[in-house]
Amino acid sequence: MKALTALALLVCYRPTLQGMVKQWWTDEDMSHGFAVPFVILWIVWRERGRWQAIEAQPTAWGFALLVAAAGLQTAGGLGVGLFAGSVAFLFSVAGAILCLGGFVWLRALALPLLLGLFMLPKLAIVYNQATLPLQLFASRLAAAILTSGGIGVIREGNILDVRGHRVEVAEACSGIRYLLSLGFFAVVFGYLSDAKAWMRLVLLAAAVPLAIVGNALRVAAAAWRPSLDSGTAHTISGWFIFLLCLPALLGVRQLLNNIHTRYGA
Amino acid sequence: MRSVTKLLLWSALTVSLKAQITLGPTLNTFEVLAASTVTNSGPTVINGNLGTSPGGAITGFTGFGAGGPGIVNGTIHAADGVALQAQNELTAAFNAAAGAASTGIKNGDIGGQTIPPGVYTASSSLGITGTVTLDAQGNPNAQFIFQIGTALTTATSSIVFLINGAQASNVFWQVGSSATLGTSSAFAGNILAQASISLGTSALIQGRALARTGAVTLLSNLGTAPGVTGGLPPPPATPAPSSLILISTALACAGIYQSRERLLKMFRG
Repeated sequence: MKALTALALLVCYRPTLQGMVKQWWTDEDMSHGFAVPFVILWIVWRERGRWQAIEAQPTAWGFALLVAAAGLQTAGGLGVGLFAGSVAFLFSVAGAILCLGGFVWLRALALPLLLGLFMLPKLAIVYNQATLPLQLFASRLAAAILTSGGIGVIREGNILDVRGHRVEVAEACSGIRYLLSLGFFAVVFGYLSDAKAWMRLVLLAAAVPLAIVGNALRVAAAAWRPSLDSGTAHTISGWFIFLLCLPALLGVRQLLNNIHTRYGA
Repeated sequence: MRSVTKLLLWSALTVSLKAQITLGPTLNTFEVLAASTVTNSGPTVINGNLGTSPGGAITGFTGFGAGGPGIVNGTIHAADGVALQAQNELTAAFNAAAGAASTGIKNGDIGGQTIPPGVYTASSSLGITGTVTLDAQGNPNAQFIFQIGTALTTATSSIVFLINGAQASNVFWQVGSSATLGTSSAFAGNILAQASISLGTSALIQGRALARTGAVTLLSNLGTAPGVTGGLPPPPATPAPSSLILISTALACAGIYQSRERLLKMFRG
C-alpha cells in the first residue's frame, strides 16, 4: 500500500518533479536538491523501526490535505509556477502519511518532511529580495575583514578594489549557497548528534551568521589574492572556507551541550 | 542649425511616444551631466561620459584639470558642444517625463513597496528608506517614471531593486528640485533633476545623474550608465562552489562525525 501510494504520488507530480530536477541541474544555487531526497530516504530507513512500531491511526484529514494539494498543483500548472507545484507535492506527501498512519506517523516523519523544504525551487520574489542585500552585506563585511587585517580596500557598492585588483560580489557570491548548505547540514547534524529540540533550533539559527561570515571571508580572500579570484584555486578556497564553518558549528553544539549540562539537567 | 533641428525632431519623437521616454543619443552616453559644476572627492569610478554645460568646472578626476582620485571610463566634456547637445536632450527628456500621463500617486516614502510599471506622481518630495522594488512583471521594456514635485531623497543604505526584467535604463526620476542619494545606497535609474544632485559616500548608481541647472557632487561613488561599457574590464565575479559540492562535503563530515568512535578504534588498531 505504501509503495503504491508513493508510486501514485510520483506519477501525479511527474511534471513538477521534472521541473525541480531541471532546476537542480541548471542552477548551482539549487544543485544540493539532488542530495536531499537521498538523505530523506536514509533517515526514513534509519528510523524505520521507530515509525513501524507506532500503531497506524489513519485520519480523513489526510484526504483534505491531498485535495488542497491537488488544488495547489492545478494552480501551479495554470501558471502560478513550479514553487506552488513543489509545495503541493510536499503537502501531498504529508496528506498520504496522514491517510496511511495518521498524526502519529506524521509526527514521527516530521524531520524528513522538514528536510523536504530544502528541495523546493527558488521562490523568485523571496530570492530576488534576499540576494541584493546579501551581496551588499557580504561586500561590506569582506571590506571590513580586509581593513581589520590591515589591507587597504575600496568598496564601490558590490565591487571591492584591493590595490587595483577588483572583484565583484555577484548574485552567485551572495552567500546563498553557503546559507542553504550550512542550514541543511545544521538540521542533519542536529538530528545525528541527538540534540534536544531547542538545541536543533539554535544550531539552525547559528548556521545563518556562520554562513554569512564564512562567505565574506571567501570574498575577502578572493579580493586579497588575485590567484584566488577565479578558476580551481577559487573553488578550492571557497570549499575550504566552507569546511571551516563545519567545526564552528560543532563548537556551537558543544557550547549548547555545556549549557544544557550546567543549567538544564 | 543642425543641432536645433535634431533637438526639435527628438522632442517631437519623445512627446509622440507619450509615456515611453527615451534619452537622446548623445545624452545616452553620459553617466554624469551638470549645468554648473561636477565636484568629486574620493575614489569615484564613472563608467560613461561626464560633462558640464554651460558651466565648465569639473574637479577631482584623474587626468583633468588639477587631477584627483576619481576615474572616468569615458570622455570628459567641459562646456563643449557635446555637453551642450546632451543638455538640450536632457531638457527634452525632462519635459517628456514631466508631461507623461500619470497612472498613480506616490507621496512620502516609498521604501518597502513593490511597484509595477507606470507613471507615478509625487506632489512634493519623495523619499526611499530601505528597499523599493520595481517589478517589470516580465516585460524588459516596461518603464517606470516618477514625477517628483520637489526633492528626491534616499536614506543611508537604501536600495532601488529591479526585478522581473526591470532595466535601469527604463527608470526615470524626474525631480522638480534636487536629488540626494544616501550614504552606501544602491540606486537604479536615470535622475533627471531640475537643480542639483548629490551622492552620499559610497553610494552606487546604476543609471545616470543628470542635472539641468545645478551641480553634481560625488563622494567615492560608482556610477554606471546602462548600456555604456567603461574602459575597465568587468571585474571577475567570485561565485561560491555549487551547493551540491558544499552539501556533499558537509554530509561526508557528518558521516565521519557519526562514525568517529569506530574510526578512532580503527586508528588505535
